[in-house]
Amino acid sequence: MSGCYTENMKKSEGLGVGMGADGVTTHEVSSLTAAAHELKSPLALMRQLALRLDSGDVSDEQHRLIQQITLTSERALRLTSDLTRSARLEDALFELEPINPEQLCQDIATELAPLFEAHGRSLAVSHRTHPLLLVANRDLLRRIIMNFSDNALHYSQPGTAVHMQIQALTKAGTVRVGIRDFGPALSSDMWRALQKKLKHSPQAIHARPQSSGLGLYIAGQFAEAMQGTIGATRHHDGATFYVELQASRQLSLL
Amino acid sequence: MTNVLQHVLLVEDDPWLAELEADVLTQAGYEVTHAPHAPSAIAKIDEKQPDVIILDVLLTGSTAFALLHELQSYGDTKAVPIILCTNMADSLKLEDVKSYGVRRIVDKSTMQPDDLLAAIRSVLRRGIE
Repeated sequence: MSGCYTENMKKSEGLGVGMGADGVTTHEVSSLTAAAHELKSPLALMRQLALRLDSGDVSDEQHRLIQQITLTSERALRLTSDLTRSARLEDALFELEPINPEQLCQDIATELAPLFEAHGRSLAVSHRTHPLLLVANRDLLRRIIMNFSDNALHYSQPGTAVHMQIQALTKAGTVRVGIRDFGPALSSDMWRALQKKLKHSPQAIHARPQSSGLGLYIAGQFAEAMQGTIGATRHHDGATFYVELQASRQLSLL
Repeated sequence: MTNVLQHVLLVEDDPWLAELEADVLTQAGYEVTHAPHAPSAIAKIDEKQPDVIILDVLLTGSTAFALLHELQSYGDTKAVPIILCTNMADSLKLEDVKSYGVRRIVDKSTMQPDDLLAAIRSVLRRGIE
């Protein structure tokens, strides 16, 4: 081959070079997506650097700190991925399928176990004798549950277990997947702010200063894309964040 | 008899990540050439054809797809297997890019240190499908 790169590059960009290529080279991406992607690269690099460090000869304390860097990078990467996905929801078609939420929660609990353990907490799935099925896009539902779990991790008390609960709401024909954390009770003001946050675009609430509400906003967008809703229940010792989705008709076959 | 090292062209615009990846591949016994952008990759390929190309998708000044299209235009580079190593893995499907010589997509944001090695071994073992 010879180097006539510039000429051919212009040609290929002008014609479009297939589905994957066309999506990347000619679509206008929103500033939100662009910002998320810009963040992804340095975060992925930080994670790789941490993994590399951990492969060397390190003390237990150094290993613990490196693991925290890795897990924190992964958490931030999840958020940027969600942000990218959220910005593209309108353009995308999502396959909806019957899903066993308990199995999905189990998979997520296994995946997040090191993160929870590093923070002195645990994640448990409440087992149902009779499994429920709901209709969802597996990836979007997974991201919602990951998001709620992440939220629960940061607002639960050390030493407590976060519970993933699945329940049927028979009257509405929906299934609720809830993530229950055990932490400080939400004040009435905070509760009102949270309700607002669940319905509108991201806003900070004073009682949870670390929260921009972005994660909840994204979870709400994902739920909406699957004709579902998200919500929260206040307890005297924490909160439950949940997503409600249509129950699968295949339920009767189980 | 001297073993000829298999040649990997690493097209990655982040110098630190490129250094990390090159280090892993070199330690595993590959000859690694680094190109920070697409025009540089073309020049490196002209110097010595790689056995496999590891390609980031978003490169400084262009995307990988212009380069992929370029490589598919020539008989001698068409058959070189390509591994996309990208942060955009969740928005790409292998089926959509297979016709560009892409044999694997590795998600940069979730990959483990040995994932690239496994992908290289896999595509070199399988050759062109």
